[in-house]
This record gives sequence, C-alpha cells and structure tokens, in this order.
Amino acid sequence: MATQHVPTANGTAMNGATSLVKSLEAANVDVMFGLPGGAILPAYDPIFDSTIRHILVRHEQGAGHAATGYAQVTGRAGVCIATSGPGATNLVTPLMDAGMDSVPLVAITGQVPSAAIGTDAFQEADIRGITMPFTKHNFLVTKAEDIPGAIAQAFHIATTGRPGPVLVDIAKDALQAQTTFNWPSKIELAGYNPRITPDNQSIADAAALIAQSKKPVFYVGGGVIKANASKELAQLVELLGAPVVTTLMARGAFPDSHPLHLGMPGMHGSVAAVTSLQKADLLITLGARFDDRVTGKLSSFAVNAKVIHADIDPAEINKNKFADVPVIGDLRETISALIPALKAALAKNHPDLTPWNASILKLKSSYPVGYTLPDDGSLSPQAVIERIGQISGTDTIFTSGVGQHQMWASQFISYEHPRTWLNSGGAGTMGYGLPAAMGAKVGAPDSTVWAIDGDGCFQMTNQELVTCALNNIPIKVAIINNESLGMVRQWQTLFYEGRYSNTSLESKRVPNFPMLAEAMGCVGLSCERPEDLDATIEKAMSINDQPVVVDFRVHRDAMVWPMVAAGTSNDEIMIARATAPDWDSQEL
Amino acid sequence: MSIHTLEVLVENEPGVLARVSGLFARRAYNIDTLVVGPTTNPEVSKMVIQVNLEGHSLEQVIAQLDKLISVISIEELVNGEKKPVKDTQPDYQN
Repeated sequence: MATQHVPTANGTAMNGATSLVKSLEAANVDVMFGLPGGAILPAYDPIFDSTIRHILVRHEQGAGHAATGYAQVTGRAGVCIATSGPGATNLVTPLMDAGMDSVPLVAITGQVPSAAIGTDAFQEADIRGITMPFTKHNFLVTKAEDIPGAIAQAFHIATTGRPGPVLVDIAKDALQAQTTFNWPSKIELAGYNPRITPDNQSIADAAALIAQSKKPVFYVGGGVIKANASKELAQLVELLGAPVVTTLMARGAFPDSHPLHLGMPGMHGSVAAVTSLQKADLLITLGARFDDRVTGKLSSFAVNAKVIHADIDPAEINKNKFADVPVIGDLRETISALIPALKAALAKNHPDLTPWNASILKLKSSYPVGYTLPDDGSLSPQAVIERIGQISGTDTIFTSGVGQHQMWASQFISYEHPRTWLNSGGAGTMGYGLPAAMGAKVGAPDSTVWAIDGDGCFQMTNQELVTCALNNIPIKVAIINNESLGMVRQWQTLFYEGRYSNTSLESKRVPNFPMLAEAMGCVGLSCERPEDLDATIEKAMSINDQPVVVDFRVHRDAMVWPMVAAGTSNDEIMIARATAPDWDSQEL
Repeated sequence: MSIHTLEVLVENEPGVLARVSGLFARRAYNIDTLVVGPTTNPEVSKMVIQVNLEGHSLEQVIAQLDKLISVISIEELVNGEKKPVKDTQPDYQN
C-alpha cells in the first residue's frame, strides 16, 4: 500500500475529463505528448487550461517514443495521450518498446462511449485487449468516478517495482459525465507488492560466493540505471576490483573510461567483454536478463560460471539461465547491502584476482573495438559517430535508431554517465531515435541531445521534426546515410551471398535530407568528405535555437564488428569477416 | 511431465480471464483444464488451472502468473490439500 498527497481539488464537482486532468496534475505530470481526436476530445478542453505542458505531435507513435525518451532521461513516468481506434493503435509499438526496455510510461487513450463498445463503432479498437501482452497493466474505465483511482494506480504500477508501460483507456461518456473529484489518499492493490528490500540470507550467500571466486565479472544491465545505482555500483567494483561489462541497455551505468570496464558484451560486443563472460567462474549479474543477444547460443554461454542474479523481477530468475544465488530487490538497496557483506567476506578470504584481470585486460588491449577507414577515401560511418561523441562531450545525451548506426553509437561513443544513452534495446524499434531525442530534450532542456539515426530509421519518424521546430525543442540529428538498411544488408553480405534483396534505399538520391529538414523548419546540413567532418559537426553544435539535421553521406559497405552470428556460441566471435581472435596467444 | 493443479485467486473484473489465458498462450504453455468461479468475496474470483508441466516450466508459469497485477495469490493443490507455491522465488540454496 502506498500513501500519497491529496490535492485541494478533492471533493469538487467536475466532469470526468477535468478529473482526468486534475489527476495528472496530482500525479505531478509536467509534460505530455499527444494528439487529439473524437473520443479523447472532452479531455482536451481542460488540457487547454492546465499547467501541464502538452506537446502536439504529428503522429501518435512519436508521442509514445517521446514519452519514453523523457522517462529514460528523467527517471519519471513519461505520459502520452491519444484518441481511440487508430490513435490508440499507433501507440502500440511504443508501448511494446517500453515494455521490453522496462520504461515507466503512462498512455491515456479515449475510447468510444461505453454503450457503443463492442458494436464496431467508428474508431473503435479494443486497445486494452491489444496491449494486454506487453503492458505491465492496463485499464478500461467506463465510469467518471473511477478515473482518478485508475490514473493513480497507473502511475504507481508504472514507476514502482520493475518499471513498465501502463495504458488507461477511458470511454468518452466517462469523460463527459459529472462526478466528484476523488484522488485516492492510498493505493491498495492486492495482487501487486514488489519486493524492494533483498533478504539478508541471499545477500550473505552472494557475498560468500564472490569471496570464493577467482574469475568474477560484473554483468551489468539496464536495471542499474533504472534503480539509480551507478554510484553504489562504482563502490562495489572498487571493493572487489573485478572487470565490468555493460549491456546495450546499461551503457553509461559505469564509466567507459574506467580501466576495468571491458565495454559491451553480446552479438556486437568487444572481444574482452564477450570472452570474460565465457571464461568467468562467476557472473555477478545486476539488473540484466540474459537476453539472447548477450548469451548467444545459451547452452554454450558461460558454462563454467556460477551465477548471482540480482533483479527486482522474480520472473527473470532462472528464466534463461539458472541462478545459483538469486537476489530479489531494488538494485540500489541490493548493492548497498552487498558492499558491507562483501567487505566482511573478503576480510576472511580475498582471492587474488590479478592473473584473471591481467589476462582479460590483455584481451582488451589486444582487441580494442575499432574500424578501418574505407579504401576509397569516402566518409567512414564509425568515424562520424566517434567524432560526434568526442566533439560533443560526455554530458551529451545520445539516442539512436536500430541497426548498424546503433551498434556503432554504442561502441564508439564514450559514456561516462547514466541516462546519457537511450536506445531501443529489447524491441529493436526502427524510428525510435528521433522522437526519443525530442522527449529527452524536453526532459533535459539544458543538455545537448544528439539522435544518431540511420537513413532508414529517419524515414520512419522524421515528421516529429516539425513538432521540434514549432515547440522550441532544438535536437540535433545525425543521419548516418549509407543509402541502405545497413544491418540487414550486412547479414545479406555475410549469410545470403551478397544478394541484396530490398535493402537499397537509394537515400543519397531521394529524399534530399537537408531540403526535407529545411521544409520542416530545421537547419539542414550535409557532409560527404572526411576533411569536412569536424567543421560540419562544429557547425551543428553552434546552432542551438533550431533543430539541426546533418546528412552524413557515408561509405556503404562498412560492417559492424566484432560479431557473434545469431544462434552460434559466443566462443565463435569474429573480429572481421572470417577472422577470429588469435586465441593461441591468449592465456585464459 | 505431470499434471499440476493451481488455485489462483484473481480480481473479479472484466478481462481477467483474457489476461490469464493470454499469458498461457503467448508464453506457449498449454492449459489442460480451466475452471472459473466465485468466492465468498464478490471482488475476488477463483481459477483452478491444470497444467501438464513440471520443473523449470512450472516455475516460470507461476512466476509469470504472479506478475499479473490482477492475480492475488497462487497455491498448488496436491491431493486436495493447498500448498503454497515457492513464492516465485526459487530456492537459492541449490
């Protein structure tokens, strides 16, 4: 049961729509992204008078990803709002995306009047049924008096425990009916009681296991960022002195500049990160979920390792990989409890990690994540991304779409702080990057926000540049234009004999990205030659009163390495085409 | 495999059967039988679900069911006796 502040409007007569807006205000919402339509129209009248900033998007999908970007930057619930039917179904992808990446999101949709539900009415869609599989919970509200309770529960569910998306679908007649505002003073959900504090025995078992390990690795996932546990993690790492890997969702949870940081594990992870997991005798798993993109072929993943699995979601324990020591609870509490327990355990027995660290750090220096420049002197996509990172600096917030540019942005930008790297990790939603950048910039208006986008991704959601231009949201967009669906093309190169079926977008011919950007009220720039790269980035950095779009016209055939081919073992990592690391020279 | 019978108390609200049956469908678990009925509390319904699962799969079904906000409690029926499931937290002393 959670108690909460009761607003002064409680007990006041109003209609359901006004009580919805009063509820959002009571939930401390400061911004929402949305687009009105018939069924939600009653709510837009009180929104007109509300202190909540409403940002009118051009497509509901943009509202959903923007709310996600806002949530990932601020740690607060993102809010999006849409009408019934197609308005609501346009939120489906962002809701699925937020579910896969555990993002606190509250989506509000209008529904046809309750008497019309089930009649195939105009703009009727069963959005509660549609979103049941991937929302943390959802509601269909048909009575005005139920609106405040549903909204209060929605924010409570979205932001506590393992965060996630919650949808509240409200029938139009409930918005129109008269009611008395009744924001609840407490929230009681018999079936929802997330475990926050880990039990002492599991902490003690974890500490004891760590103190016996000679080859431990911290396997750090996005949960560390959700739990705001980066500071505690740094203390734990210093205490043990073992290497760290950060997954795609955890980039920034631990500084890249730290000597024990091996980078990202997984399909496009560094040799040192992937190999450390494979050779470890203990995985100290913190807020990660053994995703197939990390484990590769599961039966050959970390076969000699015992597993400590700390997570707030009990259902993640043993889902993919057996946990010798599960620890259920909030990660900040878990790590805070683990530090003194481990200190005590290490005082009794402190194994020498020097040989293990030396062998892993040798791999890190032998096989740094790198790239070769194109032979023909054309622009390298990796160099573009690396230079943006270096010039813009480590306080910048980066978002990305999905594909090659996403992997390069993860590999070649140095992340020093949590909540500076936003991407669609679980869902792999092309088009996520630009609207997420919009939401991130709204949540962190004083930060520079770069969307590292692909030419394919950009063409899925670029309409939100109009929203950015009109609402003073000056994001920067780098289109890594290789005129292809680059990651799919890479797989066609490697696994389909170079038969490039339907991956050529021809986006160096059409559309003209700078003109498109200008047409949407942004500054459009272009860069094709390596010698112009820095000046173009600096030009983009100098424009802060308008969104900027840069068309970086890069070499087409660059590939993402290292790579563990889908379904194969992490032991078969390749550092270039048909090139494995020289294992004979390594001692592991 | 072996038949296990779960007694699941759920919020008595529209759509709750879809939440439970949809979970089984999307996570590819078969339901052998499913019976839904009232309890003495009008706000709570009882589902008795028989599944042909054991070990890891059974543990996952229970853990995923427990994640549903509408699910209040899960118990296993063994020879007519109620037995609490392992609170979805697996035994860590393996």
